[in-house]
Amino acid sequence: MNIAIIAAAIAVFTGIGAGIGIGFATGKASEAIARQPEASGKINSALLLGCALAEGTAIFGFITALLIIFVG
Amino acid sequence: MLEAFKESLVSELGNKTAFTIPVLGGIPVADSVVVSWIIMALLTVLSLVLTRKLSVRSPGRVQAALEWAVQFLNGFVKTNIGSRWRPFAPWLGTVALYIGLSNLIGIFGLTPPTKDISVTTALAVMSMLLIYGAQFRYNGLLGGLKKFAEPMPLLLPINLMEVVIRPLALCMRLFGNILGAYIIMEMLKFVAPAVLPAVFSIYFDLFDGLIQTVVFVFLTTLFTGEGIKEEE
Repeated sequence: MNIAIIAAAIAVFTGIGAGIGIGFATGKASEAIARQPEASGKINSALLLGCALAEGTAIFGFITALLIIFVG
Repeated sequence: MLEAFKESLVSELGNKTAFTIPVLGGIPVADSVVVSWIIMALLTVLSLVLTRKLSVRSPGRVQAALEWAVQFLNGFVKTNIGSRWRPFAPWLGTVALYIGLSNLIGIFGLTPPTKDISVTTALAVMSMLLIYGAQFRYNGLLGGLKKFAEPMPLLLPINLMEVVIRPLALCMRLFGNILGAYIIMEMLKFVAPAVLPAVFSIYFDLFDGLIQTVVFVFLTTLFTGEGIKEEE
């Protein structure tokens, strides 16, 4: 069980990637809106899609950690 | 004390059986199904009550709000799917209402159905059928198959893999977000039972639930549109 908890903690490290990715995407989106405010609708929907896909990795890591703790 | 908390968390993760139908040796009915029935009853009653006195000449305040909502939905679907948007709007609106309400119902003390992985799997499978059904319905059998080789034939294996990955990601995203929010809320209640959970509940129950609703519907719309958009 002790080693399993460490394994779960490592699995949750996927959150780093999602955090960096969403941070980059949001920063670039802010720049794009500052440059072209009239395109903000399209930029927002593209940002939402990218964030949802980037967040998927974090969710997969989280589910893996849960499986390790509660099932394995 | 910590052990007791862990036990309660593990028991919360499983799907509790609300009652058992005493036929064929007993059919267990899960909590999520019962809460889904409550949501369905609520939505049915609301749609019956809110659409009772519709009129063209003198629309009331409720009718104006409803018309705005329907117009917003239609516009959203039209911009993302293109000219063949009509059959998809009612389905997407229904899914949005159901997921939104199930994510928010945790505030009233009921178990959110989307915390049950079977519910999100069912939603994701229906989205998959919609995406690929529309692709074959509007392109024909051969045209639908040809869509898998776009934008270039080299991407064929990746496009085929997406048939499985898209619903898996949709399902896991919704389930993981709701479950994660639920676990964090339980931990907060354990650590600080007073004011703190109320503050965080605004983020985890309200904001996260609505964002996940938008993301699920938006991704389904986008994938559907990708499959049936005609080339200019």
